[in-house]
Amino acid sequence: MDDVMKDRIEQLVDFIMKWCLWQFHSRSWDRERQNEGILTKTIQLLCDEPVDLSTPSDKCYWVDAVYLANGLKKTCPWLNTMDKKDLKILMQGLKERIDYLTINGSLNQELTNPLY
Amino acid sequence: MPYHTFKCSECIPAREMHAVIKGPGEDLSSCLPLGYLNTIPGTISERGCAYCGAKHVIGSPMKDVIHMSHGPVGCTYDTWHTKRYISDNDNFQLKYTFATDMKEKHVVFGAEKMLKQNIIDSFKAFPHIKRMTIYQTCASALIGDDIAAVAKKVMEEIPDVDIFVCNAPGFGGPSQSGGHHKINIAWIDQKVGTYEPEIKSKYVINYVGDYNIQGDAEIMVDFFKRMGIQVLSTFTGNCTYDDLRGMHRAHLNVLECARSSEYICNELRKRYGIPRLDIDGFGFEPLSASLMKVAMFFGLEKEAQAIIDEETARWRPELNWYAKRLKGKKICLWPGGSKLWHWAHVIEEEMGVKVVSVYSKFGHQGDFEKGVARCSEGALAIDDPNELEGLEAMEMLQPDCVLTGVRPGEVSKKMRIPYLNIHAYDNGPYKGFEGWVRLARDIYNAIYSPIHQLSGLDISKDEIPTDKGFMTRQMISDVNIVDDGNIPAEERPYTGDWDIVTRLRGKKYPKLESQQLGTA
Repeated sequence: MDDVMKDRIEQLVDFIMKWCLWQFHSRSWDRERQNEGILTKTIQLLCDEPVDLSTPSDKCYWVDAVYLANGLKKTCPWLNTMDKKDLKILMQGLKERIDYLTINGSLNQELTNPLY
Repeated sequence: MPYHTFKCSECIPAREMHAVIKGPGEDLSSCLPLGYLNTIPGTISERGCAYCGAKHVIGSPMKDVIHMSHGPVGCTYDTWHTKRYISDNDNFQLKYTFATDMKEKHVVFGAEKMLKQNIIDSFKAFPHIKRMTIYQTCASALIGDDIAAVAKKVMEEIPDVDIFVCNAPGFGGPSQSGGHHKINIAWIDQKVGTYEPEIKSKYVINYVGDYNIQGDAEIMVDFFKRMGIQVLSTFTGNCTYDDLRGMHRAHLNVLECARSSEYICNELRKRYGIPRLDIDGFGFEPLSASLMKVAMFFGLEKEAQAIIDEETARWRPELNWYAKRLKGKKICLWPGGSKLWHWAHVIEEEMGVKVVSVYSKFGHQGDFEKGVARCSEGALAIDDPNELEGLEAMEMLQPDCVLTGVRPGEVSKKMRIPYLNIHAYDNGPYKGFEGWVRLARDIYNAIYSPIHQLSGLDISKDEIPTDKGFMTRQMISDVNIVDDGNIPAEERPYTGDWDIVTRLRGKKYPKLESQQLGTA
């Protein structure tokens, strides 16, 4: 990953960490599901692809995804100039970074507790 | 790892990993204190116990309930009246507190008989109240009284009453958070699904994790109702016992304080398929986004936007007035659990103050993840600080104001640093757009209080100036404010009423009522 890509991902991460709460559910399996559900829908929104809203939980993810997509476009205007292929690569990098910070690389010792 | 060792705690090596300073380039994979661990012997922790977390924080805000502690009278007394969780039924839950008053003889011979008599006597003393919660304490837990069996017997004998039993004795966890957890799970196990609420709208939510401190929950519920959303329950501020039994019928759980009540949302999702939406109810931008998210879930975007536009136009200029005068002031954000992350960034963004430290006595690492992620570089994050560490932090950071609870707040006052009570609030509510201005007003009043001109003087030795009067707050705060004639008239100190909550009670909500009439 080149430095430009890294820097761009960190800008996106910064927005999520400051203005979102969905990535901080209390257990690893929750965080995996949240990150997957919301970031997948965010990518679809940014790439003008159809978004599945068939279940209440899909709708709930979509709500956070719309806020995120709008917020990212506003704070990182360069997103609007990227083509869809590059955008998807960038967002995949973002997903990996968020997974690392909140799950795999997290220092939170409660993440693996098997109960709520 | 950027751990910070307090000089006063060098003799307690186990404290080493409980404080961090967020340095340049630090992220959550390198900067996070330990949290929610058993208290380290010798640190003189200031934590509350699990019983307090269950009864005082979460159970007691329920408004139509006799809240009974099965234990020594001190347990109930010390968890009474210190948090202003008001209600619209004349504050029954604040006016009275109940205890079985266990003594040594009960420890020896058992206290179940006495408990049963207390339950019956309490219902007789308040015949209009038909609901009760009973909280186990250390004493009744250690002797093994079967509170649930006693409650069941009473419910059989008096069929129109309902009783909830919470077994969260003081020792049942590292801190009050252990009690939050236990009462969440006990409530969903025992009570959710045992009552069918009346559904009056196509849009139904539970508003979870708000305890109506000085009316916070009522402010938020007003926004939801204005959109046409039925709030089935508020967990638990200003809510009835039966409304909380009907939580399973909501379409969405809107979660505010994840620290105290994420458990019930997680379980409602698992057992009933109700999704959980975490929101921030504080600050103009986060609140606007939160209202919009809830609205989007139901397709009510226009309704939400109308509220956001109206409230922002009315209150933003007054917030700006304070923000200009608070810019650059340093604060320690030392609340309970959730405000450390609800406020860490937005108070900087919208009021201009700099958060130099965040702490929590009972927060988990999850809370510190959110807090550390949101606060600026250089902030000191402390888990379960003791009084000496608090003093050392204040000496090191020299804050202009400490936002905290009464106990550490009084300590900061002795250091001549003003504090704001953000547990029970000074002049709340602080939620909502107007509430956020009230918070700014209270911070401003604390920092610029004329009392500081005198409080630093020692009358036994200092010269007391008698040739000049006090400078008012505004004389001090406006030294560097330049009025170039372009300041709008609406940019002024807070102009709201002293009481902004009572008027919401009995208010009509056309969008909600039209659905009941079938005209929506």
